[in-house]
This record gives sequence, structure tokens and C-alpha cells, in this order.
Amino acid sequence: MRIRTLLPVVLAALGALLLVVSVFAGAGSAKAAAGKAGAFKKGGTLKIAISEGDFSNVDPGIAYEVTPWSMMWATQVLLVNYPEKTGTEGSKLYPEGAEAFPTISKDGKTYVFKVRKGLRFSDGTPVTAAAYKRALERNLSPEMGSPLGVNVQLHKLIVGGEAFLDGKTKVLSGVAAKGQVLTVKLTKADPTFVSIMAMQWFGAVKPDTPYTDKGLTIYPSAGPYYIKAHDVGRSLVLARNPYYKGSRPANPDQIVFTANTDQAQTFLQVKNGDFDYDAGAGSPPTEYEGLGATYGINKSRFFVGPITCVFYVAMNTSRAPFSNLNVRKGFEWAIDRPALLRLGGKYAGKRTDQILVPGVPGFKDFRLYAIKGADPAKAKQIAGNVSGTVLVRHSTSIANTNRAQILEYNLKQMGFATKDLPVPGGVYYPQLQVKGVDFDTAFAGWCADYNDPFDFINVLLDGRTIQENNNVNFAYYDNAGLNKQMDAAAAQFGDARAAAYSKLDFDIMTKHAPWAPWYIPNQRMFVSARVKNFIFSSYYTEPAYNAMAIAG
Amino acid sequence: MLQFLIRRLLWAVFLFLAATLITYVIFYVVPADPAKQMCGRACTQEDVARVAHHLGLDRPVYEQYGRYLWQLVGHQSLGTSYTTRQEVNHIIAQTAPVTASLVFGGAFFWLLLSIPVGILSALRARSIGDRAAMVFVLVGVSAHPVWIGLILSYFLGYRLHVTPIAGYCDFFNPSLGSDCGGPVQWAYHMILPWMTFMLLFAALYVRLIRANVMETMTEDYVRTARAKGASEHRVLSQHVLRNSMLPIVTILGMDIGLALGGAIFTESVFSLPGLGRQVLQSYSNFDLPVILGVVVFSTICIIIFNLVVDVLYAVLDPRIRLE
Amino acid sequence: MTATLEVEDLRTSFRTDDGIVKAVDGVSFSVDKGRTLGIVGESGSGKSVTCLTVMGLNDKRLATSSGSVRFGGEEILGASSDKLRKVRGDRIAMIFQDPMTSLNPVKSIGWQLEEAVLVHQDVTRSLAHARALELLNAVGIPHADTRISDYPHQFSGGMRQRVMIAMALVNNPDILIADEPTTALDVTTQAQILRLMQKLQDEFRMAIVMITHDLGVIAEIADDIVVMYAGKVVEQASAEDLFERPQHPYTWGLLGSLPRLTGQTERLYQIPGQPPSLLRPPSGCAFHPRCEFTFERCRAEVPELVAFGEPGHRHRCFLDNARRQQIWEAKKLEIKGEAA
Repeated sequence: MRIRTLLPVVLAALGALLLVVSVFAGAGSAKAAAGKAGAFKKGGTLKIAISEGDFSNVDPGIAYEVTPWSMMWATQVLLVNYPEKTGTEGSKLYPEGAEAFPTISKDGKTYVFKVRKGLRFSDGTPVTAAAYKRALERNLSPEMGSPLGVNVQLHKLIVGGEAFLDGKTKVLSGVAAKGQVLTVKLTKADPTFVSIMAMQWFGAVKPDTPYTDKGLTIYPSAGPYYIKAHDVGRSLVLARNPYYKGSRPANPDQIVFTANTDQAQTFLQVKNGDFDYDAGAGSPPTEYEGLGATYGINKSRFFVGPITCVFYVAMNTSRAPFSNLNVRKGFEWAIDRPALLRLGGKYAGKRTDQILVPGVPGFKDFRLYAIKGADPAKAKQIAGNVSGTVLVRHSTSIANTNRAQILEYNLKQMGFATKDLPVPGGVYYPQLQVKGVDFDTAFAGWCADYNDPFDFINVLLDGRTIQENNNVNFAYYDNAGLNKQMDAAAAQFGDARAAAYSKLDFDIMTKHAPWAPWYIPNQRMFVSARVKNFIFSSYYTEPAYNAMAIAG
Repeated sequence: MLQFLIRRLLWAVFLFLAATLITYVIFYVVPADPAKQMCGRACTQEDVARVAHHLGLDRPVYEQYGRYLWQLVGHQSLGTSYTTRQEVNHIIAQTAPVTASLVFGGAFFWLLLSIPVGILSALRARSIGDRAAMVFVLVGVSAHPVWIGLILSYFLGYRLHVTPIAGYCDFFNPSLGSDCGGPVQWAYHMILPWMTFMLLFAALYVRLIRANVMETMTEDYVRTARAKGASEHRVLSQHVLRNSMLPIVTILGMDIGLALGGAIFTESVFSLPGLGRQVLQSYSNFDLPVILGVVVFSTICIIIFNLVVDVLYAVLDPRIRLE
Repeated sequence: MTATLEVEDLRTSFRTDDGIVKAVDGVSFSVDKGRTLGIVGESGSGKSVTCLTVMGLNDKRLATSSGSVRFGGEEILGASSDKLRKVRGDRIAMIFQDPMTSLNPVKSIGWQLEEAVLVHQDVTRSLAHARALELLNAVGIPHADTRISDYPHQFSGGMRQRVMIAMALVNNPDILIADEPTTALDVTTQAQILRLMQKLQDEFRMAIVMITHDLGVIAEIADDIVVMYAGKVVEQASAEDLFERPQHPYTWGLLGSLPRLTGQTERLYQIPGQPPSLLRPPSGCAFHPRCEFTFERCRAEVPELVAFGEPGHRHRCFLDNARRQQIWEAKKLEIKGEAA
């Protein structure tokens, strides 16, 4: 190649590149969409990014995470569901697939649901009780590979469940579907059953939906939308269900999810209008203050809402020093909740000193301990003279490492020496779940699977559930009296149940104090300029996608 | 030549086994429990055991590795992802073309840029142009691709709206619902990723080519060619370039391996759904089959590419060919 | 008749990071068709640079030359590159010391030979090929017709040097400059190459300039000899004259250090000391620090070339002639052993 001919070739290539770029320069500048005030219209394609993540699975028999569940909220019809309403109204169940809440037999063991007429799947097939029976079967079938009903002990709760799960029977004997009538027989009375039915695992699926341990990537659904296309790992497209005649909103024509985008870049793209919302990692935490200042809160583009989760410091009650109740109660006064919260950035959440959270029946806001700031004098007074070293366990994330520092300071003020134990995030919970794990305090969090106080109190603090591994009772607390009290509350229904759990919440925190709960996190959400009708669900921790309006 | 090929192939098989074995071993040293992860929070021990059995995780490590190899060689299957339960073969088939777009497109542009700049720099050593090129080299080598990518996408994408900020468009068969597809959109979305990706390598190659050309210019046979009365142009094209470019071929082979690794950064920043991004996701999920699948696939690619490069080198350099 | 090549007061200096180096400092010689000129000297004496300057092969950015180089009456020092290129490889050819590195490793020798032809003659490739084959045969490469497509690394050292010679002669040059062509070869091959060169000289009627540090080689083929030291000519004479009546102490040193087959039981004689630095050359006569006969004047003044004895014999030394003869007589006995 002559040197002299090289130069023109290089220039030509660069020129070509610049030409391509300039052709699109004009197109790019037209992108900044201005939001208009006023009524919202149906239509358009809602573009949701899932940064740093993806739908691990979208099969209702397998999916168990916020991302697929919040998508499935738009596609599924559940027997009972949460409404597209903001605040605590959004945590109140209403009968969707069922005509009304089920009739329950006197012994509390038989539930009868009447499935609403007129519901159809996206391929036109009508929805009958068999659809819900199929959902239950898929949750407990050994052929699905990892039956999730087990998580809520469904196989023990439904008659014939264990035999079905073990492959001994091909039919789930405790569930009967006749026309629009669904009958479920339980092995014992369990008031959480209706809340459990609100989980996305139990949405209506066509009765011929196969078992598959891989999970279906596309299937017909009966809700306002259905999955039209799914490129696993890349994108998922929802289109309006033409056969949906219900009252739930279906504003966008299409909803497109793009997975595995970069968090910081996605933030720029939401700013720019290339995406409407990031359902993944969200905005970089340093942005929240600026967003709040620019757009206000819950007004136009920036929204903050609490999620049904509680974050707490578990105390290892199986050994000193926290085997001593007074020391535990002293700790409730020593811990500096506001300082811990400040580390989360602006609008991170709300301080708390109890187990239940708003939206869960039975929640009543008590003021028990040091909610405004640490009170080391009082802590010392209650705990008495303390000595020894407290092992502070935390994950290696920046947030938790910093929180541990605050905690250690608080403990030192009580009179303890401290030892810091960082643990990599990927193994933090797996290690904590092993009985006998070495710690004195450990940071932990818990979000509701279903909106019943049982899911917080019994699941997390019943000492009889403690096993060698796979524990969730991180305080490793086992008190016979408390266990009895929890059993009693679990047997209640309705208002009596709520009252019993209110009292339980109060009693646990005042008489047992195995944890120091410290905050209820907020979800902080930023949308593009064109988004209207943003309705946030505390339970799903995401907005209702079917309600978001973008066309004018 | 045949002996040479056979020797290389055997070596390739050995490399392949070593790479997969090492990955497998590392994974087993890491204290993660995929069965528990798949099962969920409130699973009892027996439930987790059930899942583990289903995945074959309760077998001894060497047996699992053996089964893996058999599945790979006998059924050409890389297994199933723990998190999404998709066939790893399918995942690789989807992500590999994206990475290929980035790497080969990037390679094309970095060579396009570095060869003329390197040669010109060498010929006009110590001139202003040469010094400017060396500054460019320093920047390209020192600046991290993530930084370069973010800066480019911020200014050219977000501020000036000249290119997209991030994202990928399929060349063929755009997926339903995506608002972009086809060769033009594909190239448009790849402009910044190519620029980011190629900068580091272009810098390295300018330096390499410049050094090679400068050194070759001092070779005795160049002097002989001049003594024969050959014009400068002939000396350059027939004697200098051919010889100084030869090492580039081998280095290119090695660099493809590096490039695959470097692609991770560029794919992250620009949300390109390629092998690099895939492997990052899989790390956080402890998704061994996918990680292994990417390692296996990359290893095979690198080995094949190096083999091709070696053969090419033998074709170009008679000293190797005629041993 | 004008000499084929005439070099007059040639000077070449190099710009280095440490200063100016006067590699060639006033060299003059001439050589005619059919004759061989030998240029002798140690490394760094300027012998190679002289010939590179004649060919115009120095790096123009670093080297500056002055003086005159006339080839066939025409001035070629400082000529345009086009003009120089026409002459190089066509009228004046040069071969170098290491034939392995002097040949392009990735081109067949046939291609390289053809290139030498095609650069200067507008002929077809097959004609060039035929010419190349002719030369390969002339230099004695066996099976030339198959070996012409082989690569340099497939030849032995001696064969490669023959190829270089073939390449140099392919256009029938008037002068062949050979820069240490046999230094990298073993003694037997060396002899073969020298015989080849002489044979070709007769055949092609060309002049040869032979650069070497080896007096034995010079003794074999040179008609005239130029002895260089530190960039200057210190003695020049016909070969016969130089060996019979050398006049410069450096030449005596060179002759004295020749190994002999008979009688020598002591260590080989070496000229004491090192060649001088050309950055900071010694004052006065450049050889004086190593000369056993040095005196005051040698340190203070630079000696000029003076004629002596037979026509064409010149030397650069302050010793007076009587003293010089005395010293040489004594040395002659030493060098040649017992008087015959």
C-alpha cells in the first residue's frame, strides 16, 4: 500500500463514520419529549428498563422475585388481588378473579371460591375454576423442578399436597374445580390462606398449561396484558389483552421491558426519555437529592413510597451478651436509628422500632425506644454493667460497612468492645442461615411475601422452626410462651386477628426484644417526562405498569 | 506442516481441559449454594436437598465435572442456567453475535486507525505528527475503557444527541417490540462502543507498529534493497511493511483473547447484551453453568483463532513453514 | 583514461546525542576497471562509512558529507536521490558483511535477484528470472533452477554470500564494493568466495573495492591498498609496495600481528591500546597514544599525507625517513623470521 494512498483511505473511513453520525444527529435532538399537564390517553409503547438485572423467570409456577411479579401484576388475574391505588389503600385485597371473598367452613378447613364469569385468556379461552386448580398443581408438582408452594408450606397445608409433591399421586386431591367453583380443603385452619392466594404464583393459567422445570417464557394470560414476545435475557413485550373486559386500567398499547442495562446509563436514558422507568437497580443513590429538589416528591417525575419491608439488627439470643433481655432492651436505646438512616441518602426510608410495617394488617405505630437518636445513658441504665466483645456481622456492601461502623460506636458507648466481621454479599444470608453461626449482631431485612402479619412474626420468630440450616429466625430466639402466643394469634380471623397481632408486635418488642428494627425502606423512583398516572404499590415495590399513561 | 497442525490441535485440547477444570475448581472453592438460591428463602433443608439432587449437586465434584464433560462432548450441550433455566447453548448463541459485532468491528477500526498512524509515525519519527500520535497513545493506554465509554456516551449521546446513549439493535431479525433493528441502526448503536473499545487497542498497536517499522527500517536487508537502487516506495512496501507487519498477526491472535475480556467493560457501559455482560450477571447469581459455558465458548474461540493465526503466520513467514 | 571511481577529500560527520563524530576525515583514493582496491583498518576506522558515503546510503538526517566522489567523471556526492538510485545496483554495487541479515527473509532469493534486475531494466519478469538463473550459475550455486525459489534461511553462509554476489552483479556493474564479505565465513569458504570474486572480476571486467580488517585477505586479492585509522588515510600504496616497504607504524603493527606458520612460539603480537574515540580524538597524530615511536611533534601537530618512494605511495608520519628505514629493517627480521 502506498503511503500516499493510505491517507485518503483513512480519511474516507473517518468521513464515512462522521456521515453516519451526522445523519442521525438531527433525529437525536428531536427526542426530548416535553410532558404535558392534563388528562391522560390510552396508547403508545411504555419503555421500561431493568438495569443490572433481568426476569430470572416469568413462569408463574417458578418466578419468585419482585421484577417478574411486578410484570405479572399486569398480566395475571388472581382470585384476590391488590388494587391499583396509592398508599395503604393499595394494600387492601379485593376479589378480582373471584366474585367475592371465599366462603370458609366453620372449622376453617374448607375454602370455596366462585370464579367470576366473563374473564377470558388472551387467546379467547374463558377462565374457569380449573384455571386456578392448574395454578396450584403447577406450584406443587415435582415435575416443575423447584416447587415454590413449599416456601409457604402449601404442600403441608393442602390436603393431598405432600403425596402430590412426592410424586405418589398424579392428582392434587385437596383441590376440586367444577365449572366456576373452586373448592380447597386444608389440613388445618389457616387464616393466611387468602393472603397467600394473592401471590402471583396463583394467577389463572390455562388448564392445559404443561409442567416444565425450565419455565414457560410465553403463555396466554387473563389480565389486562399478555406476553406477546420474550427474548430471554434481552427483552419482553406485553400487549393489551383484547379479551380483557375488567375494570383494571390498560393504558399503554404495549409495554416493552429491556433487561440487563447499565444503571448509570439507564438513568441518563430515563432523563432523556429513551426509557420511561428503570425497574432494576434504579437511579444512582447520589441522584435522589437533586431529583427531589428539581421535581418535588410525588408530583411529576420523582416518586417516593414505602415498601412492605422491615430492616433490623438481629441479636444472637442464643448466647451472651444478648441472651440477657435487659441487655437487649438497653441496645434498643443505644442504637442510633437516624444516623443509620442518613447513610441511605435522601428519602431512604422511615425509622421504626417495631416488627410490623404499614400495609400489613395489625400494624399500629408504637413509639417504644430511641427513635429520634441514640440515648446511651438510658441504654446503660437499662442494660446495667456490660463487658465483653460484641461480634458485629455485616455484608461487604458500602452501605452495610458504614452502618456497622455506626453500630460499633453505639455498642462502645454502652460499654462493650466490638469486633467487625465483614462477609461477602453473596454468602451473607447463606451463612447467617446456619444454626450456631458466629455473631452477636447482624444486619438483616425482610419483605412481605403476602400481606399477613404471620409472614413477619411467626415466620421470623417462631423458635420451633429453627433447624440446622436454612433458618430465617436470625435471632435464633425460642421462647415457649411467645410461641404459644403466636399460635393463638395465627388462629384468629379478621379484626380479631389484626388486634392479636398488634398486641403481639408490642409484646415482642417490649418483653422479648430479639431484634432492633430500625427502618422501613422507601422505593425512590424516577420516570421520564411523558409518564402520567404513576401509582405505586407498596407490596410489589413497583408502580402499576398497566396504569402508567404515556400518550399525550 | 501436518505435524505442526496436529501438535497445535493436541495442545489446544489440553488448554481447553485446563481452562474448564480451573473454572470448575474455582467455583467449588467459592462457598455459594445454588440449590439454596434456587429454592428460596423459606425452604426447609429437605426442600433444598431435593433441589440439589435435581441439579446433580449432591454428587462428588469429580463426578460432576465428568458428567459435564460428557454432556459437552457427547451431547454438545453446555447445560442449563441455574437462574433462568434456559439452555446455556441458547444463551451463548444469543449473546455471542453481539460480542462478535463489538470485537471484530472494533478490531477492524483499530487496525484501520493504527496501521496508517503507526507507519506514518515511524517514517516521520520525532516530527510534530509523531509526537501528537504518541500523546494519543498515552491517553488511549492510560484511560480506562469504562471511563472513555461513559465520557463519550455522556457528551456525544446525552448532551449532543449525536449518537444513542446506550443499547443494542439486532442486525438481522430484530426482536419484537424493540424500536430498532437492521444494519443501519445496528451500526449507529455500535459507533460509540466501537470507539471506546478500539481506543485502547489502537493506541497499543500504533506504538507497536511504530516500533516495528522503525526497527525494520534499520535492518540490513533494507540497506541492501536501497543499495540495489530500489525506490523508497518499493523499499517500504516490499521490504519494510511486509516484515514489520508479521508480528502483528501473532499479536492479534493473543489480543483477541484480551479483547474478549475487555469487551466486558464496553458491553457494561453500553448495555450490549453480549457474552461479557452475560458473564457479569451470572457471577452475581453464582450461575455456574452459564459462567462455565462462556468460559468454554471463549476458550474454544480463542484457541481456534490462535490456531488460524498460527497457520496464517506459517503461510506468511517461510522460515516457520519450512522448518 | 579517467579512473572509474575517484574519491577526493571525502569527509563525513554524524550528529549524535553526545556530539559530532568525524567518521571520515579527508579520504582520497581512486580505482580503475579491472583493479582491486583494498581498504584496511580496525573497527571504527571509517572504512565502511567511506563506502556508504560513496553509495549515498547514510541517514541524511544524521550525516553530513563533503568532498568529491566522481564516477566515470560524473560527480555523484550530493546528487539527487533519483540520480543516485539509477547508479546504485546498476553501475556501482555493494555487498555486505552478514549475508543472512542482508537478505529479506520472507522473499525467495529468486524474487530478490529479479528485483535487482527489474528496478533498473524494463523487462518482463521471465527475462529477469532467466538473468537471475544465469548469475546463480555463474556464482556456482548447484541446482540453481530449483534453488532459485528457495528462501535465504535454506542456504548455508557461503552460499548466501554467493547469492549476494550474484545479486550485486546481475546488472553488470562497473564497480563492486565489498564490505567485509568474508568476515562471517569460515576460512575454507572464505577462500572460495575470494577466488569467485577474482574470477568474476576477470569475466565482468569490473573494479572491486574490498573493505576488510584482515591483511591476509588483502594480500590475496588487492592490487592497491589504503590503510585507514581514525577516519584518515594513514598509508596508501600498491600491494607489493605496502608489504615490502611499509612506512607507517600502524601498518607495521598490522603486519606484525599477522600469525605465521613457522617458528612462532610466543603470544601473537597485538598493537597495544584501543582505537580512539572519534568524539574526542587525541591531539596531533591520532595514532600517537599507541605508537612505540612517538615523540613530541606527534602529540602537537597533525601529520599530513606525504609521498614516499614509488609513485602512489603515501604515508602520514613525522618520523624522519632514515630513522624509519632503520626501524623497518629491524622489524622485517622479526616479522619474517630469519632472513631467507
